[in-house]
Amino acid sequence: MFARASLILGIAVKHLAKRKRQTAVAIAGVSIGVGFFLAVSAMMIGSQNDFIERLISSAPHIIISDEIRSPRPQPAVRALAGSVVEIHGYKTRNEVRGIKDWQEIVQAANAIPGSIVAPSLSGAVTLRVGGREEPLGIIGVDPSVEEKIENVQDNMSAGSFHELETTEGGVIVTEELAQRLGVRLGDTVGATSRAGTRSLKIVGLFARGRGQFGNSGYVLLREAQSLTGQPFIINRIGVSIPDPYAAETVAADLESRFGYKAQSWQERSADFMTLLLTRNVIMYSVISAMLLVASFGIYTAVSNSVVDKRRDIAILRSIGFSQSDLQRVFVVEGLILALIGVVAGWAIGTLLMQILGSLKFPILGRVEHLPLDRSARQFIIAGASSLGAAAIAAWLPARKAARVDPVDILRGAA
Amino acid sequence: MTPLMEARALTRILPTDPPVTLVHNVDLDIIPGRFHAVIGPSGCGKSSLLYLLGLLDRPTSGSVSFRGDDMSDLDGDQRALLRLEQFGFVFQFHFLLPEFTALENVLIPIRRLGQLRGSEMADQALAMLDELGLAGQSGKTPDRMSGGERQRVAIARALANNPSIVLGDEPTGNLDSENSAHVIEIFQQIAHDQGRAVVCVTHDLTVAAAADTRIHMLDGAIERVD
Repeated sequence: MFARASLILGIAVKHLAKRKRQTAVAIAGVSIGVGFFLAVSAMMIGSQNDFIERLISSAPHIIISDEIRSPRPQPAVRALAGSVVEIHGYKTRNEVRGIKDWQEIVQAANAIPGSIVAPSLSGAVTLRVGGREEPLGIIGVDPSVEEKIENVQDNMSAGSFHELETTEGGVIVTEELAQRLGVRLGDTVGATSRAGTRSLKIVGLFARGRGQFGNSGYVLLREAQSLTGQPFIINRIGVSIPDPYAAETVAADLESRFGYKAQSWQERSADFMTLLLTRNVIMYSVISAMLLVASFGIYTAVSNSVVDKRRDIAILRSIGFSQSDLQRVFVVEGLILALIGVVAGWAIGTLLMQILGSLKFPILGRVEHLPLDRSARQFIIAGASSLGAAAIAAWLPARKAARVDPVDILRGAA
Repeated sequence: MTPLMEARALTRILPTDPPVTLVHNVDLDIIPGRFHAVIGPSGCGKSSLLYLLGLLDRPTSGSVSFRGDDMSDLDGDQRALLRLEQFGFVFQFHFLLPEFTALENVLIPIRRLGQLRGSEMADQALAMLDELGLAGQSGKTPDRMSGGERQRVAIARALANNPSIVLGDEPTGNLDSENSAHVIEIFQQIAHDQGRAVVCVTHDLTVAAAADTRIHMLDGAIERVD
């Protein structure tokens, strides 16, 4: 078996070595295809991973709010479960906003191994400095817990997240808001809410371009409860779990148990995720077309080899080679071309990634590099799809080689 | 002596429009240890008969049997295996693979059969070349050898797996008289000394004169055997 395999390989190698130019062109086609596949996919997947990483790290994986997706069932409906009951025109009591029995939810979320749970309160105030007014959505948090589920400090350009714990009435706002109000770090602003007016001191600033913070500001939890006049109330529970990709399942479980809306990061970013999916479909379509075109080179090289070697095919048949032996010779030719092309393509791809990775892009005063995915997965996908395409491209002419009638060739050559 | 191969009512008709009869109702016995020459004018069906006997072509009707077994039911792979183990072909043009050296060409059928170890394969191929006076030519490619040397390499390749029958299609047709005489001598040795059956299609009267059995063909049929 080994002798036969090495013989078939030897014949294929000799055929390719004889046709150096066509061999080089076919290999170049595959290697360029694989190289650009790697470069393009590294950029696309890299930017996607970077984006998802930002989504995951910039906010809790699951946010439980004091909303419910559908009204609670009326007692009559619950009592007559399974019957056809329709109630309309009823009046409901205004409920106090906030999550009831939130300690139970925190306890349930904490029961997930490795999870971190951060209760908070969000509300709205108006900031005033001189004659200028700006609305601000405040989020009251416990900084020592919140920093474990949300990457706040890394997004700050000035001050410290922990200043909230040590400064009475401390607030962190975006640089853009501070600029509109004409204030700087350490300045005091007036904050008005339905509970009254009081002073807040700016202890931190979020860097420019951090869109996720928008018009939000962070204060200490008890400060938020005091500002909004909702003592002991919680209306938001952030949950971080060890496997961020399990957030949808965990969120669904928490929502079904407690009734409050539990949104995973995937649900909150559904539009973006759909966009990424569309982008991936486009990317893989374009790159597959590149690899397909590269496989045409292999088809041409193997086809020409079959035509050139018709006499040798007849000789080998007369010696005792079977049709499948001859088919293998030409498929192996295609695979050798693809294999060398893939290895060369990996080298080209790595070089292109090095070049792309070294490019610098100044964005809002910071130097950014292209996020690139250099994982082995992309190399394997490029290699496997090239080899697969090459096998098919070589198999088509190889089938013709196997069908060559040796008698026709021998009679013609005599 | 029991025939090695038997052809009975062997007919081959090309399915063209109109159909062309290449071989018509041939009965023939091939005897081991004998040198058979198939002779006749061009286009009389000599090569077509050879391809039928060599299992490269299938008859339209009639049968070919090898050692008493009918070959009609064998599929392509079984026929290929039988050719590899029992048949050796030599053609008018040497038909060596141009990219391979003499030794590598002789090794092709041995490696394909795969019944020997690596070093044994090379030893057998070298012995075969040595037997045909080509010991010093083993590393040469066909383009660096004379016509006679190439044909002897082709004979060595045909004998590589110790076949029971050697089939030659005008094996001297492209050689000068000296090389032609050498090849005839080799075929006689293969038949008489080694006990194999040899069947040669030829126009060469020298080959015909050297043969033990002459099969005269005309218009696809056997005219006479002497």
